[in-house]
Amino acid sequence: MELLCLEMDTIIRARPDPNLLCDDRVLQRLLTIEERFLPQYSYFKGVQKDIQPFMRRMVATWMLEVCEEQKCEEEVFPLAMNYLDRFLAVVPTKKCNLQLLGAVCMFLASKLKETRPLTAEKLCIYTDNSIRPQELLEWELVVLGKLKWNLAAVTPNDFIEHIVRRLPLPEDKLALIRKHVQTFIALCATDFRFAMYPPSMIATGSVGAAICGLQLDSADQSQWGDSLTDLLAKITNTEVDVLKECQEQIERVLVSSLREGRQQQQQQQQTQRGPSGKGLDELDQSSTPTDVRDVNL
Amino acid sequence: MPCLVYYCCYFLKQNANQCYCNQRSSLCFHQCRVMASHKRILGVLRKRPARRNLFGPVDREQLQVEYQAAMRNDLEEASKRWGFDFSLDKPLESSDFQWEGVPSTRVPLLYRSCMQGLGQAEGHRSAETVTPKRGRVETAQSEKENIPGMPENCMHGREMLEKTPEKGENTGLKRKQTNITDFYQAKRRVVWMPRKSGE
Repeated sequence: MELLCLEMDTIIRARPDPNLLCDDRVLQRLLTIEERFLPQYSYFKGVQKDIQPFMRRMVATWMLEVCEEQKCEEEVFPLAMNYLDRFLAVVPTKKCNLQLLGAVCMFLASKLKETRPLTAEKLCIYTDNSIRPQELLEWELVVLGKLKWNLAAVTPNDFIEHIVRRLPLPEDKLALIRKHVQTFIALCATDFRFAMYPPSMIATGSVGAAICGLQLDSADQSQWGDSLTDLLAKITNTEVDVLKECQEQIERVLVSSLREGRQQQQQQQQTQRGPSGKGLDELDQSSTPTDVRDVNL
Repeated sequence: MPCLVYYCCYFLKQNANQCYCNQRSSLCFHQCRVMASHKRILGVLRKRPARRNLFGPVDREQLQVEYQAAMRNDLEEASKRWGFDFSLDKPLESSDFQWEGVPSTRVPLLYRSCMQGLGQAEGHRSAETVTPKRGRVETAQSEKENIPGMPENCMHGREMLEKTPEKGENTGLKRKQTNITDFYQAKRRVVWMPRKSGE
């Protein structure tokens, strides 16, 4: 007799559980505990001597690229950045160890969130073998110790469903809105200015930015009007002004990120084409948004 | 780069672009939970490989020193917290816990120290594993089981844990619970699906 295992080689997901998503207590609980997982200090002003904000951005961008290439779950990257910030808030770290730390944080976040986590070997390859699997495993323990094994941190992603389902949004746009919100959350995680913001605020600001950006708020003015921000603020108990500022900040970061991306693309094209490819400059500048007020708020 | 075009349209108010934007989006963003294409808007358009060394070579010796120091600190903290000297495998004099020795034969294989796990030295070492009265076993080994680079005999011991016991094997080590695979051959049929890259 033989046993036959018909296990499919796919990841099987639980359906969204209405008991969790429709119960207000879950959201309230998330709001209560989220502060526990914030980094304690703005560490560039005290703890860290060797590393600079731009280095955090470098390592964050690299981590995002790795997570994308490996098709990690959405929460893995923001969660890994949470670990990184919490570690850096307490441990002075050298520049040359920052990538190791980033790899360790992805390793941990992936193990916590994924059914098929990233392997140590794979992560080492992504550092161009500048670190060894054994070092990764050793530092995994160091990081775990400093985080006091508190890995189940609240991330902005935890709030998306709770917020979105409390808004009167067209059913057919929900998937798109979610996708945009996730993009904004990832964007915020790469930028240190958002590192100390509560996850609920980043989530709320991202939802606001996504709805405005998709101009879903302009489709039916009577329904939204100025009240979108008010409604969002009420859902997560955020102050309206603070939330507005957060949303605008997200939009600014998006614009500058877009612009930077375009510039890099131009540079790339120019180097490819040599000195003859000048016409691109004008073309690109005309289509790049330069003012946040282009966004229909 | 369709997605880039799309995201630039994001900020334009013209209706034509809006339509384009909606059409594109349904194509670009079919997946919701798995990361896809954020980087197109995140200023990393350069077609560089994700595989790269960001900040130059790592100072391995320094890294090792820091690792050892961090581990020592963690161990000291754990010792204080549990009132147990994990390096000597003995309870501390002053402890909030009352520790009690339990013969290693009475605890699952996993919690026995390496030598005992191998079944060689059950006579040599005091055949006791110390447990706190409240049940869960805290030995140096269980504390450290994730540390890589354990002595070879430990690794060997762990391999044995995972091995299905064969008939006639040392009965002292035989695990009590049998697996269904001890009696039937397991066959795994994999239905082809796309996997993560590199796997």
